[in-house]
Amino acid sequence: MSERIRKGFAILLVAALAVAMMAGCTTTEGDGETESDATKGGTFNFYISEPAFIDPVNLQESEGTQVGQAVFDSLVAFDPITSEVIPAAAESWESNDDATVWTFTLVEGAKFHDGSEVTAESFKYAWERICNPENESEVAYHLGVVMGYDEMQDGTATELEGVKVIDDYTLEVTLNYGFADFEYVVGHPALAPVPQEAVEADPDGFSEMPIGNGPFKMAEPWAHDQYVKVVRFDDYYGTTSNIDGVDFKILADQDAAWLEFEAGNLDFVPIPSGQIQTAVATYGESSDGYTVNPGKQVSLGAEQAIYYLLINNEDPALADPDVRAALSLAIDRQDICDKVFEGTRTPATGIVPPGIVGHKPDAFEYAKYDVEAAKAKLADAGFPNGEGFPTISLEYNSGSGHEDILALVQEDLKAIGVNGELVGSEWAQYLDKLGAKDYQVGRLGWIADYPIMDNFLYPLFLTGSTDNYSFYTNPEVDEMLDEARTTVDDDDRVALYQDIEKIVGDASAVIPMFYYRHTRVASDRVIDGIYSPNGLFTFDTVELDIAE
Amino acid sequence: MTREDKKLHDVQSGMEGPRDAGGHPTKDERVVGPILPGAGEVAARPARTLWGDAFTRLRKNKLAIIGLVWVTIVIALALSADLWVPRFFAEPTFTGFGSLEAPSAQHPFGTDRIGRDVFSRVVYGSRPSLSVGVLAVSISLALGLILGALSGYYGGVLDAFIMRTADVFFAFPYMLFTIALLAVLGPGLQNVFIAIGILGWPSIARVFRSSILSVKENEYVDAARAMGASDLRIMFRHIMPNAIAPIIVYGTMSIGGAIITEAALSYLGMGVQAPTPSWGSMLSEAKALMIPAPWLTIWPGFAILTTVLAFVLMGDGMRDALDVKMKD
Amino acid sequence: MFKYVMRRILQMIPVFLGVTLILFVLRIPGLLPGDPIQLIVGEKTLTPALRAQIEEKNHLNEPAYVQYGYYVSNLLQGDLGESYQKSRSVTSILADKFPNTIRLAVAAILVEIVVGLLAGIISAVKQYSFWDVLVTLSTSILVSVPVFWLGMLLQMLFGIKLKQWTGGALFLPITGMGTPPDIAHLILPAVTLASVSTAYVARIMRSQMLEALGQDYIRTAMAKGLTERAVVFKHALKNAMIPVVTFIGIDLGALMGGAILTESVFSWPGVGREIYLAVLQRDWPVVMGGVVIVVLIVMVVNLLVDISYALLDPRIRYGGAAE
Repeated sequence: MSERIRKGFAILLVAALAVAMMAGCTTTEGDGETESDATKGGTFNFYISEPAFIDPVNLQESEGTQVGQAVFDSLVAFDPITSEVIPAAAESWESNDDATVWTFTLVEGAKFHDGSEVTAESFKYAWERICNPENESEVAYHLGVVMGYDEMQDGTATELEGVKVIDDYTLEVTLNYGFADFEYVVGHPALAPVPQEAVEADPDGFSEMPIGNGPFKMAEPWAHDQYVKVVRFDDYYGTTSNIDGVDFKILADQDAAWLEFEAGNLDFVPIPSGQIQTAVATYGESSDGYTVNPGKQVSLGAEQAIYYLLINNEDPALADPDVRAALSLAIDRQDICDKVFEGTRTPATGIVPPGIVGHKPDAFEYAKYDVEAAKAKLADAGFPNGEGFPTISLEYNSGSGHEDILALVQEDLKAIGVNGELVGSEWAQYLDKLGAKDYQVGRLGWIADYPIMDNFLYPLFLTGSTDNYSFYTNPEVDEMLDEARTTVDDDDRVALYQDIEKIVGDASAVIPMFYYRHTRVASDRVIDGIYSPNGLFTFDTVELDIAE
Repeated sequence: MTREDKKLHDVQSGMEGPRDAGGHPTKDERVVGPILPGAGEVAARPARTLWGDAFTRLRKNKLAIIGLVWVTIVIALALSADLWVPRFFAEPTFTGFGSLEAPSAQHPFGTDRIGRDVFSRVVYGSRPSLSVGVLAVSISLALGLILGALSGYYGGVLDAFIMRTADVFFAFPYMLFTIALLAVLGPGLQNVFIAIGILGWPSIARVFRSSILSVKENEYVDAARAMGASDLRIMFRHIMPNAIAPIIVYGTMSIGGAIITEAALSYLGMGVQAPTPSWGSMLSEAKALMIPAPWLTIWPGFAILTTVLAFVLMGDGMRDALDVKMKD
Repeated sequence: MFKYVMRRILQMIPVFLGVTLILFVLRIPGLLPGDPIQLIVGEKTLTPALRAQIEEKNHLNEPAYVQYGYYVSNLLQGDLGESYQKSRSVTSILADKFPNTIRLAVAAILVEIVVGLLAGIISAVKQYSFWDVLVTLSTSILVSVPVFWLGMLLQMLFGIKLKQWTGGALFLPITGMGTPPDIAHLILPAVTLASVSTAYVARIMRSQMLEALGQDYIRTAMAKGLTERAVVFKHALKNAMIPVVTFIGIDLGALMGGAILTESVFSWPGVGREIYLAVLQRDWPVVMGGVVIVVLIVMVVNLLVDISYALLDPRIRYGGAAE
């Protein structure tokens, strides 16, 4: 009798296991098997962590923006590699001579996923929804330049005075001041149109399952902490996508995502630290750093972000540009990149990172490692071998690994005779200290909202700007910054910004440290996938090899 | 007793025989009460014979001896690590990225992602585990014995208060409570001692209380009381020696539980902090490297398994030796 | 019966109040790392006016006992507050997660019952055989295995290696990642979560069966010529089941409380992992609200198990005085 029990037991186990595995197969491969074409179709399994929002009204961090970009199209888009502005919901646009009034002409007949039409009114409604303080949007500042923004924010107006609907397909936007880069601003995914009727019928429902005008539509409401599922929108006004859809799989930790990638269940994931060299050896590196193809699957291109050291330009010890140049020359950035970041950062040679229109290598003359030059500069400033130079504070926000970086900086500075003292504080307290000029050298990261030079120069170096924590002041630069903003000609404007960057660099107003780099890998079925410098993956053009 | 006690008693009454009752308090996320046999049924025999017999019986239990030997080896390795590890193996220091090496003669357990010798780290990793095992259980024992004694000996309102408080502690799922407590105390080895120690007292207090209850009514206790012995004297001379056996067994098994809990907390990043090696945090670092470097996953886990198993086997052996079991 | 249920419910109240008191003490500002008000506003600048406004709104400027009053009364109204990190109410976050936790708990219980009972029975019926030794040994090992390590090994073996060996034909999903998590996704986490309890069930079952098989009436039945199989199933099993059922009942309660380790290893979107992530992000409302709800659910499940147990087994005296 026990013979039977034993058999029964074994059979049951085997059966359970078999059923389980079959189930395992069907769930993951079912997606591909319905399609016979080898290059069209397939579902892209994309890893994200839980987004804060996927509704444009509050689209802010990378994860939500990634979803938003698939579901919505703003007026313009960015070329995924060069970051130049390209048409999207607007087929053309122009500004007046001082870049204060902008007129956008929309693509006719474009539809939302619910079939309603995308009109100029949809944009006006969406933008006012963002500016309406009741909606507590944290991205409203993007429209800060639009006339009437302040009135909406403080509740004295319910409409954006500067946004006018000329007709269904013409939108006119008036700005508070000339801003020639405004065409980049309207490319932000948060400034996408929304269908007024659908939003008003069920605002909460809309936030969970937004209806957009992009190449993909939501297949079902956002399953928090599990997935966001989007499928191809066949009535899309542009070129419909090559793939059937994207499953944004939400996982709380990157290690789990990496395992799923190794198991073949995810198509695009971050590479865990310690694995980058191995991943490059196994999967091959993308030739341009952004485009991934089978055998060239690892994306290591530069991102539109910079890590830099702040110098308190008003501090008596650091007011002399020669001193600041000496500090900048003394830092071995490559060494820090290798030791701390495993090569996932590249030494910065200017404040404007690659991937920004107008980026110029070596824009900051002293952003390089040259100990002898550093010593010479310090001697020029009257401190040969650092003699007589006071000990300076090296400040950072604690708990995010900055201590390691500044400790290496401290060693580098010691080599030219400058002593530094590490001081860590909590983020909020740290910002308070910077704002109160109560520091000598600090650190910050700066990430582009739009791929324009203005983003790295205007806020960081304009006299009195709240983000100008180094308190650099130069009336000439202030004037040039304003002039650049109203320069409508693209080439002239970029040239002007490049001049500004050079002036700021010659003064060593800040010390650029590193450009951030991508560290992601695609599966071998991803063809022509592009992971842009702005950290967003482009689903419009990617193809999947589903020929298995 | 309340219904819960009765229920536990039911579970326990099923446990008998040499190896079927691993009273091992830390399961995945909870303590399903002390699964410990016969708290109430300790044979009340004169102390000397009990210990003498126990030793003889313990020596005959092969598995318990294996456990004891393994625990001794682990302790010896942990204590002597400074003397020999640096001489034979690379100093566990940072050497650079991309240095993952498979096991070899030079690195018997391979190296981790920044080139540190895994064998050395596993040896050093025994230190936090063992110290948490011993210190946390000592804290639990100290609290549990005092409160259990007060509760069992004096009874009444004090008993009710202490036992209701124990109920409150039992109402929390174990891992959840530990993590909530560490969230307040902050991560780190010292706080792990405290958290595990604090959360362990109710089980000990309950076990000890019921031991005391069963011993208290014996004639010799009455006799001592009639002769005018003080409470303390009765406690230490007459009750303790007869009520302590289940505590010894329970304490031994709790060490295994504390080691697993420490490993779990370090795995979750709330225990021992990098770069100090601990088995749990090593496993946490191994997560993403399971496929290219399985040795990173296998060895620290194996170390936890064998050490905990050794304590469980020892506890089992002591339980049998001390005759702490159900009469059935 | 009614009196018994009432008594049990009344007993729960002071315990639950004790739980809320402990949690309240833990959340007193100053005890938790970080300035709570700064955590509420996130990275926005905190002006004194804004601070005063938030203190007012959250009653942070009142004496502690008044705050406790607010805390308990909000709790009773089902208001657990807003998450600091996600702009959602704690209640809705938890409501999202509980179904996943319950799914996993039920699956784990099934594993315990099927594997644990069978192993226990085989082991007892064939005492001292190879199978008995195997079961006894593996239960000892199972209770000593750290579950998160077991989970990692299973992921490596069934999720990745098996897939490689079989060229992608056979494998098991290795995390809760799915659309939505289905039965296949449940297998590895459920086996992992059930591991320790399965060992207990097997042990309890074994010793119960041994005891039952040794009873006079079983011997009588055997003597009367009943086959061994009939004896095992009709008589011994029935009597041996009661403690096992009790254990599984307690375990169900415990599993409902979320399985932090298993859920973390498998990225299972359950309550335990949610609370753990909230601890890492210092999202105190989610931590405290989550723990309170979990405790409440564990208590209620235990109560239900007790009641159904009392109903099923007439031998239990439920009305009687405490023994």
